[in-house]
Amino acid sequence: MTLVQITTKPPMEAKKTNTPELLALDAGEQYRFGFNMNSCIGCHSCEVACAEQNGLPAGTVWRRVGEIEGGDHPTTRRFHLSMSCNQCIEPACLEGCPTNAYVKLTNGVVAHNADDCIGCQYCTWNCPYSVPVFQPDRRIVTKCDMCQPRLEAGRTPACVDACPTHAITIEKVNVEAWRLDHAAGDAPALPSADLTLSTTRFDLPEDLPIDAYAASDWNLRPEHPHWSLVWLTLLSQLAVGMTFTADSFAQRGATATVASIALLGALFHLGRPAVAYKAFRNLRRSWLSREVALLSLYGTLAPITVAAPGVRPYAAAAGAAGVYASARLYMVPGRPAWHTPLTVVRFTATTMALGATATGQRTYAAAGLALAVLATIANWARLLRNPSPPFRGAVRLETRWFRPWTLARFATAIVGALGALLGWPLAIVFVLGAASEFVGRWLFYVAVVPLNMPGAFWRGAAGSHR
Amino acid sequence: MKALVRRVLGVDHGGDRYRYVDDPIRGPVSESRAVDQWVRTTCGYCSVGCGMLLGVRAGRAVAVQGDPDHPVNRGRLCPKGLCEHQMIAADGRLTMPTVDGQAANWNDALDRVVSGLRGVIDTHGPDSVAILSTGQLVTEEFYALGKLARLGMGVRNYDGNTTLCMASAVSGYKLSFGTDGPPGCYEDFELADVVVLWGANIADNHPLLAPRIMGGGQTIVVVDPRVTKTAMLADLHVAVKPRGDVALLNGILATLAAEHLIDLDDIRDRVDGLDDLLAHLAGWDAERAAIESGVEVDVVRELARIIGRAERCVLAWSMGVNHSAQGTETVTLLNSLAVLTGNIGRLGASPFSITGQCNAMGTRETGFTASMPGYRAYDDPLARAELAALWNIDEARLPTERGRAYPDIINAIVSGRIRGLWIIATNPVVSYPHRDIIETALRSLDLLVVQDGFETPTTELANVVLPAAIWGEKDGTFTNSERRVSRVRAAVEPPGRARTDFDIFLDIARRWGCAAELFPGWSSPFDAYEEWRRVSMGRPCDYSGITWDRIDAVGGVQWPCPEGPDVPLAGTKRLYTDQRVNRPGGRTALRVVEPTPLRDAPRPDYPFLLNTGRTVEHWHTRTKTGRIAVLEGLAPEAWVEMHPEDATRLHLRSGDWARVSSQRGTIDRIRVRVTTIVRHGEVFIPFHWDEQCANRLTDDDFDPISREPNYKQCAVRIEPWSA
Repeated sequence: MTLVQITTKPPMEAKKTNTPELLALDAGEQYRFGFNMNSCIGCHSCEVACAEQNGLPAGTVWRRVGEIEGGDHPTTRRFHLSMSCNQCIEPACLEGCPTNAYVKLTNGVVAHNADDCIGCQYCTWNCPYSVPVFQPDRRIVTKCDMCQPRLEAGRTPACVDACPTHAITIEKVNVEAWRLDHAAGDAPALPSADLTLSTTRFDLPEDLPIDAYAASDWNLRPEHPHWSLVWLTLLSQLAVGMTFTADSFAQRGATATVASIALLGALFHLGRPAVAYKAFRNLRRSWLSREVALLSLYGTLAPITVAAPGVRPYAAAAGAAGVYASARLYMVPGRPAWHTPLTVVRFTATTMALGATATGQRTYAAAGLALAVLATIANWARLLRNPSPPFRGAVRLETRWFRPWTLARFATAIVGALGALLGWPLAIVFVLGAASEFVGRWLFYVAVVPLNMPGAFWRGAAGSHR
Repeated sequence: MKALVRRVLGVDHGGDRYRYVDDPIRGPVSESRAVDQWVRTTCGYCSVGCGMLLGVRAGRAVAVQGDPDHPVNRGRLCPKGLCEHQMIAADGRLTMPTVDGQAANWNDALDRVVSGLRGVIDTHGPDSVAILSTGQLVTEEFYALGKLARLGMGVRNYDGNTTLCMASAVSGYKLSFGTDGPPGCYEDFELADVVVLWGANIADNHPLLAPRIMGGGQTIVVVDPRVTKTAMLADLHVAVKPRGDVALLNGILATLAAEHLIDLDDIRDRVDGLDDLLAHLAGWDAERAAIESGVEVDVVRELARIIGRAERCVLAWSMGVNHSAQGTETVTLLNSLAVLTGNIGRLGASPFSITGQCNAMGTRETGFTASMPGYRAYDDPLARAELAALWNIDEARLPTERGRAYPDIINAIVSGRIRGLWIIATNPVVSYPHRDIIETALRSLDLLVVQDGFETPTTELANVVLPAAIWGEKDGTFTNSERRVSRVRAAVEPPGRARTDFDIFLDIARRWGCAAELFPGWSSPFDAYEEWRRVSMGRPCDYSGITWDRIDAVGGVQWPCPEGPDVPLAGTKRLYTDQRVNRPGGRTALRVVEPTPLRDAPRPDYPFLLNTGRTVEHWHTRTKTGRIAVLEGLAPEAWVEMHPEDATRLHLRSGDWARVSSQRGTIDRIRVRVTTIVRHGEVFIPFHWDEQCANRLTDDDFDPISREPNYKQCAVRIEPWSA
């Protein structure tokens, strides 16, 4: 076959008109995306252009197009929303990252350094727009960096370049001015720009219906169970609880063993255990860094208590602080079901219930189990006050989707607590309490609905890519 | 083992697979998309005909980019185009001929095709063999196939899947103007002050046309029963009742006549049948049209006035008009409306059919189906004599009529009259209406030959499968909706033993013994193209001045383009600029049309009206796009759109499974999308999926003139699905 090539023509200088221009930044400015909802036809070209530009594997999606809808036929209003990273002024991903893998570049881009990423995925919980994604083939998180290599070359991002209707633009924004007024960063069914000072500016249609909802709203589904975290948090809380009451040599030995297993397990919840040591880098801002530090300290002290019982109060203090940090790291706006002091109550209750049962403190055991259940119910009451899916949907998951498990959790907790008070054998009480807490912790991870941008109809359905 | 440990420990995060390289044209880009060379070509999906560059590295297609120099798309592409290179190496390519399910060499496979088809003809007569082709080959292949089928093999039953797509536009243009051919061009969308998109959801189906109607200040009218993405671009969305089009058009014409918005004196000598039409319109007014079209009476009048008072109006339509048992006549009404309001042959003024497939136009012009090559009518003695002379054959060898159209071929298979079928690059098991019928028909054949690039549900039924090269592996030309001829080029070799359709046609011709006569000295598509230039000379679709060099010089040339200095380099933008069409006297035929009722109208046991259509992420039966992960991820399943009131009554919510049945078949399990995109009582299913095949439900009711199926309306029942 003969190939007829027309190649290496000069880069088409004449047709600049259809290629957007990248403006130079002035002092105090950063780049941001602009999105004109009136111009978007929902063609998804931006998503494909992004995947092509960055060579992303199927399922790793940095830019997404969502759909909102409202009103009734024939005056139905439906609009699309294309979004990638909002290059926030106060990026939650960056603030929470234990390794400081995120950097806010001078041009405003929130860049992510793969070398420093340990794959803990904490940023995926922190971002209220669910922008960073865990990329399984790399075992790290990746995200949109506004095509930083293209920006450096004086070009606009691939999505901007690809949009047939010029709905996506790259603009300059004065950071201080945007801090004062970022109302144009809000869009229907999108988490408020207040949360992180997201910088994307929206041109919204005038006839947006007041009742506009996301086409993805139907698809309420459980989150990833994070099994390693279920084990890690339960075992560390068991150990810390035991430390408080572990008098005998045997109990201290058992405590040390549990604590060590928990710590070791924590490593392998990471995408990249080999670089876990980087997790201490953000003690200043990240509760995850603090958790790692405090529980590591606790994990070091716990074995020492076996030989030196006098260290136990220090170990207990470190452990308690570690459990507190552990709970605090879940209190992020991006996960409304966790974003409450009740999470601290839950984790404290677990520490009490498991630790006390293991060491024979029956009253504390019963109180811990009861408190865990009551904290859950109190959280439901809180969540039900807000009708949006990330709030009410989380309760729905726990009480409808997982109803048998929720009932089983409550039943085992109540029976366990009664058993503890009625003097049943401790082994039986422990099995009931542990089962209850195990199911409860698993439900904690799966029955949460992240904040996100409004999605397309298929978001989250089988076979769809986010 | 070491690699596994490194992976589990995460020593290496795979960053080397995600590096960027600097590309002289595109700038920094993923190394996985780095190219050695770019090959200029034209997109192989829809008929918009976007220019693109296909990037090749080490013999593999690895990237695409929109051609910034191409006049159609100016460097932009839709999502399907943006990942089109992935199609070439997708799973499921056919790489080796098979005979009765066993791998075979080409010699044996083609011998079987030729001896098999000959055997059927010898036993059952020449009428017992049929060929179904496509709108997705290159023009050169269509031209060769037409000659092979009709002259070489003497096959009377030859048609393409274009009959499932734009046949009504062809028939309508022929009835109104004498010949086929969209009179306008894309630029008209920008120059018009009113653009009417009638049954055309361009945002989903022709995305690169959408920028032409945005931001230019035109008044945009969309006529569509659904609130499509395109309807959201409209200044006026007219949610016509399904099949209310004829009533609405009659109402518009009657209003225009009543309000003196038609200059009768000016138009009288440019049309035939004006008085009959006016007499007929006396029985119509906006009120009657409103009742029969489901549009409010004020809207009927408003729409009429918008069109009537427009300085320049484009009346564009697509499958909402064509996919109808009254498609042809609806097209003639749109043509009449355009002509009566002076909207033809002028800047920004045209009745414009937006075609479906990338090269449907190529087969319209060169094919040997609805007419002879070059828009020559079978019964036109002058055209017959001319064509016979050009080919140096006896005129008597030219067929005297078109033969059976697609649905009539299928019906003749069912009744046993056709026993051998050769299918080329189409997947009727999924695309033909009333799926049971087509499956029964294909299973009943003595010989089914399927030539395609991919495994499809249709190749599964074939006795002989011929693996063909696809887009990116073939040379030739495509012609888009605005009559623009662009080049497509082979960038990579076909996989395995796959061969270009052109080679296969020539090989079959040699074995049939007609190659020397039909294809003298031909070795490449270029030879076919050069002959076609001569054959089209002087015809309405004149390609004679469109050399491949000329296409390269301007990125695409619009026919008619005779040779000579008077024709602009990029060809002719508009037809009928002298206000004379290709009928006797140059006069447009005005036709009188009354609406006909739906054959399969909703009724108590099938209470919903089903509409079918497309979504932007997929192409036709997903033979290609279903294999591209990024597109599948955007639309992984079919769905049924349903109004909240209907859904509530059936206790269905978004995401639930439903069973949808018509009198003809059932989709067992399909996801419900509760939405006000559709009207109460109407539902919509995209037709791309084999798994949830809309054509299990659709009615095999056809336009009597174009033979196009009535895909857009049938009656269905919906129930919650249970195992």
